[in-house]
Amino acid sequence: MSTVNQGLLLDLLSVAILLLTFACLGSKLFDRYVAYYALQSIVLSVAIALVALRLDAWDLWALALLTFLIKGIGIPIATRRYLIVRLELKRDVAISTGISTSLIIGAVLTAFAYFATNPSSLPGGLVASSSVPLSNAVILLGALCMVVRRNTVAQLIGWLILENGVFLGAITLVATFPFIVEAGIFLDLVAGVLIMLTLVSGLAHRLATTNASELQELRE
Amino acid sequence: MTSVALQILQSAIVVIFAPLYAGVLARAEAIVQSKRGPSVLQPYWDLAKLLRKGSAISENASWIFRIAPFVAFSCYLTVSTIVPIITDQPLPLAFLADLIGGAFVLSLAGFVTALAALDTASPLGGLGASRTTWIGSLAEPALILVFFTVAAVSRSDNPYFENHTVAGSISAYFLPTHLLGVVAFFMLVLVENGRIPIDNPTGSIEISMIEESRVLEYSGREYAIIKWDGWMKLFLLSSIFMNVFVIPWGLGHADSIAGGVEGALALLGKLVVCGLAIVVIDCSFAKLRLFRIAEFIGASFLFALIGIVTGYVIGR
Repeated sequence: MSTVNQGLLLDLLSVAILLLTFACLGSKLFDRYVAYYALQSIVLSVAIALVALRLDAWDLWALALLTFLIKGIGIPIATRRYLIVRLELKRDVAISTGISTSLIIGAVLTAFAYFATNPSSLPGGLVASSSVPLSNAVILLGALCMVVRRNTVAQLIGWLILENGVFLGAITLVATFPFIVEAGIFLDLVAGVLIMLTLVSGLAHRLATTNASELQELRE
Repeated sequence: MTSVALQILQSAIVVIFAPLYAGVLARAEAIVQSKRGPSVLQPYWDLAKLLRKGSAISENASWIFRIAPFVAFSCYLTVSTIVPIITDQPLPLAFLADLIGGAFVLSLAGFVTALAALDTASPLGGLGASRTTWIGSLAEPALILVFFTVAAVSRSDNPYFENHTVAGSISAYFLPTHLLGVVAFFMLVLVENGRIPIDNPTGSIEISMIEESRVLEYSGREYAIIKWDGWMKLFLLSSIFMNVFVIPWGLGHADSIAGGVEGALALLGKLVVCGLAIVVIDCSFAKLRLFRIAEFIGASFLFALIGIVTGYVIGR
């Protein structure tokens, strides 16, 4: 496969990741959040595998496999089983703005990301320079997800999406990262998810809600 | 001489085959729903019956009500001359308008139909006119953005340029900009033709109708023309979708009649594909609640917008 086609394929995968982020931002059901996140992670693992094929690096193959197993399968299943099913979460009602408004803000953020990291200003020789602005857009949209959603589970998904964006940027910008750093990030991620699971379960247990805006009120 | 003949052939194909396309869609939908359904020629029998009948027009109706079906019909006929339907080279009248001009002509047709619906002051007509205008006002920006994605791919808003660019190189076909434009345009085809999930084309409950409630007052010959208008619109938008966006190959050359006929046969094959997609969507989704329609069109807008910005970033 030629280099041009690989770059094009990577562009397409990055756009798919961005669209899945928008799908998550435009959805109201917890099941969908998790499904979109899982799909996004699988697309991300394919993108990493593509870069691995291009650079012929074993650690990137390992990273692709790890992404697929942990983010594509492990975290979605854990989130579904321990949070969504156990807390009987169905429809997210704790959204601070309307869906349409958050989508419009998301579109503005995407445009901002494109203008902030124009590929022509990036160094040459990258695998696919257009993935960088796309990954920035995913990071901003993940942050937006955490801002407009008041439910802690939805915020967890927003954080995970943000992290996917960081990974997408990392594999295109600094694909020759030492493996130990990437593995460390993965460990952080798993630890973070575990902490969030405990935290949210504790929150639900004490307050009988997972809505973070409840935390602003003082209680005895 | 050949080009004039091809021009006439192209418009004739739109006028003649539009009812057949609608009939095939209705039949296929019935089959998917395990029903037998009407004959695929049913639209022609409807036209034959309605054209023979006289029409009853409210005495409060003005001339707008009488001419609206014909104005809309000529709008669709105009569009049929300017877009690539059977040939991949512009025919003599194609200089009239580009994609944006074509969209103007299409909205003129929608405008006169809405005026006619308001003209008799029937409550359901007013309801339908209000709803279609609201949906149109949302769909129009998205449509313009889809044309911008076309422009980002082919550096022109001429449908023939887009057709050649996309047909000419596989990497242009797989540009994210183009693929996002395809999705956005398909959603708009559903919106513009009032298909599921926007409106139920076979629905008969007046209060939930959108497109159909505009034409409730018509009868006889005018009603036949109005129905024909709707079928032509579906046929035209489907062929633009297939010929410019999805399958830009297989159009005939404009230097011989045989090329045109070949292109026409290929078009019928492509429309089977497009019709299948529409039927699958019609049968597997429910109609959206009225205020969710804005989100549906918003999604189309978003696809086109991301496509444009991506095109700007990736370049060609």
